Amino acid sequence: MTRGHRKELLIGTAMLAAGAFYLYLVTGLPRRGPVDATFIPYVLAGAMILLGLLQLGSTLVGPAAGPNAPEEAGGATPSYLTVGLTLGLVAVFVALLRPIGFPFAAALYLFFQFVVLTPADQKPNYGLYAVLAIICSTLIFVTFRYGFDLILPAGPLTTMLP
Amino acid sequence: MWDLILQGAGNVLAPQILALITVGVAVGIVFGAVPGLTAVMAIALSLPMTYGLGPAAGISLLIALYVGATSGGLISAILLKIPGTPSSIATTFDGAPMMEKGEGAKALGVGIVFSFIGTILSIAALMFIAPHLARAALSFGPHEYFAIAIFSLTLIATLSTGSMIKGIFSGVSGFAISTVGIAPVEATRRFTFGFVELNAGFSILTVLVGMFAIAEIIKVAETTRTPNRLAAPLIVKIKGFGFSLKEFFSQIPNALRSSVIGISIGILPGIGAGTSNIISYIVAKNQSRTPEKFGQGSIEGVVASESANNAGIGGAMIPLLTLGIPGDAVTAILLGGLMIHGIQPGPMLFITQGELVYTIFAALILAAIMMLILEFWGLRVFIRLLAIPKHILLPVIVILCAVGAFGLASRVFDIWTILGFGILGYAFAKAGMPAAPFIIGFILGPMAETNFRRALQLSSGDATSFITNPISGVFLGIAALSIAWQIYRSLRPRKRSCALPASASQTSEF
Repeated sequence: MTRGHRKELLIGTAMLAAGAFYLYLVTGLPRRGPVDATFIPYVLAGAMILLGLLQLGSTLVGPAAGPNAPEEAGGATPSYLTVGLTLGLVAVFVALLRPIGFPFAAALYLFFQFVVLTPADQKPNYGLYAVLAIICSTLIFVTFRYGFDLILPAGPLTTMLP
Repeated sequence: MWDLILQGAGNVLAPQILALITVGVAVGIVFGAVPGLTAVMAIALSLPMTYGLGPAAGISLLIALYVGATSGGLISAILLKIPGTPSSIATTFDGAPMMEKGEGAKALGVGIVFSFIGTILSIAALMFIAPHLARAALSFGPHEYFAIAIFSLTLIATLSTGSMIKGIFSGVSGFAISTVGIAPVEATRRFTFGFVELNAGFSILTVLVGMFAIAEIIKVAETTRTPNRLAAPLIVKIKGFGFSLKEFFSQIPNALRSSVIGISIGILPGIGAGTSNIISYIVAKNQSRTPEKFGQGSIEGVVASESANNAGIGGAMIPLLTLGIPGDAVTAILLGGLMIHGIQPGPMLFITQGELVYTIFAALILAAIMMLILEFWGLRVFIRLLAIPKHILLPVIVILCAVGAFGLASRVFDIWTILGFGILGYAFAKAGMPAAPFIIGFILGPMAETNFRRALQLSSGDATSFITNPISGVFLGIAALSIAWQIYRSLRPRKRSCALPASASQTSEF
């Protein structure tokens, strides 16, 4: 079994699991007749399960899939650590948005994200990153708050801002 | 009609709207030119800014962004061999070789001029066809709308390239996600898990930004640490438009044909400029007297791609305005923009808000003219944005996406939502599952379900009414035939001929 086959089987299993989970949720909805609020969800759950089975079936009986292309982006090796760190940083940014306010949360996020994404052959310029992070977060906050009347969370700055 | 045209023109020439269109086109070009930034993102980010504007001003800004972003993709497509948007994929086939031969300025000039021509031709088609379609659509009821929604959903799934199973699953998943919230007709709460924020379902904006923008950023984060991924852009000197009048006139038939393809494909829901530019490129190659020059730096290829992708603008606006059906992700978010301003696209729009419709037409024309002017004079400036390192640019984009999501209802919940849909979009990309059918399923799902329930109520629960009704019967029949044809095609042995240059194989879905 090739790597491509295994990947397609995994995708088929995930599709099937998604359909089964959706069906489980649908069964918990109240019924009010043959065609009610559950009718379309039942059809969709059935379709998702069927498609999952078709995906698994076509992978198992179909021609051998070749190995995957090394990577989608121009043959470069993917860094899942960078992906994980990026997702983690975004999650921390969102979690901190209310408690410490947009300007601080955004500045912190930007600084650390600049560092995480810096290409391997470059040395992070911490000073420049800090200045850029503060300028960008302040500029965005001020532009939206005073330019577009979008009141972003200000955290401890709330009482100080006009 | 002429009164409405004059009123529309008068509206967009008001200083505020004129300024908004100018800024919108400029920002749109930047979004189109920078890989990773898209028209969807430009419109999604700017949507909150339109809250405080009137309907005419707000929609004009969104349209200007759409026109600018669709055309802006040619800049990076030609100079960096990276399509700034999916609609510029075919532009790279001949634009990049022209650049390598030292004809970058000429390729850019050709792309700009024929983008303009494609846009103007599509607007003319929109003005000519849309009112007639609107009159026909007035007779449509729940049966017809349900059938159209199903027909559109099958088109999306069956015309998605790659695995048909994955394309259909993507559309069905989008439909399933749209069932979150209070159900139509009897108001049953579905899949809210006690979150009051989910009572109204997921916002289309958060789904779009998550599936496209955040997912794209995560994808880029995968490889951004790799050294020297992108070569520094070459700054070329541009004189005039870089090509002769003789060359211009020789390309008129090609431009007309490609524009017709762009408009026709743009009208069909689910198939956008990302598809039409490639199809028109293939047709231009087949019709050319010198097909061997394609892929080597032929202006015919650039003309075909750029005429078609910009012609998709007017084409996609036809079903959007007359039927309320978004043709692609960009028009899906435009639909959201219209609804935010209390405008319900559909046949009644031409009757109840005729002035606004012609204001939209006038805004499209003015945006096209602005695009021509700004791209001609601004190329030297825009190209420098491409030189901003990605590790600086991407985090700023994440922050802007978060601001856009927060601006929807001042809820941090919506930012979590875009992160969630971003992860889903990334998973889709890794699984080779197209995201566009998911979005269209999400948009058309409620339309299909609501009209299905209403139609059954009208026909006292008689399901055969969907077949006996002539229009819905025809649409459902075509939908069934379309699926049958795709199943037949996928089962028969294939003999594939390579009609595109090697780089075309990188294109998967729009």
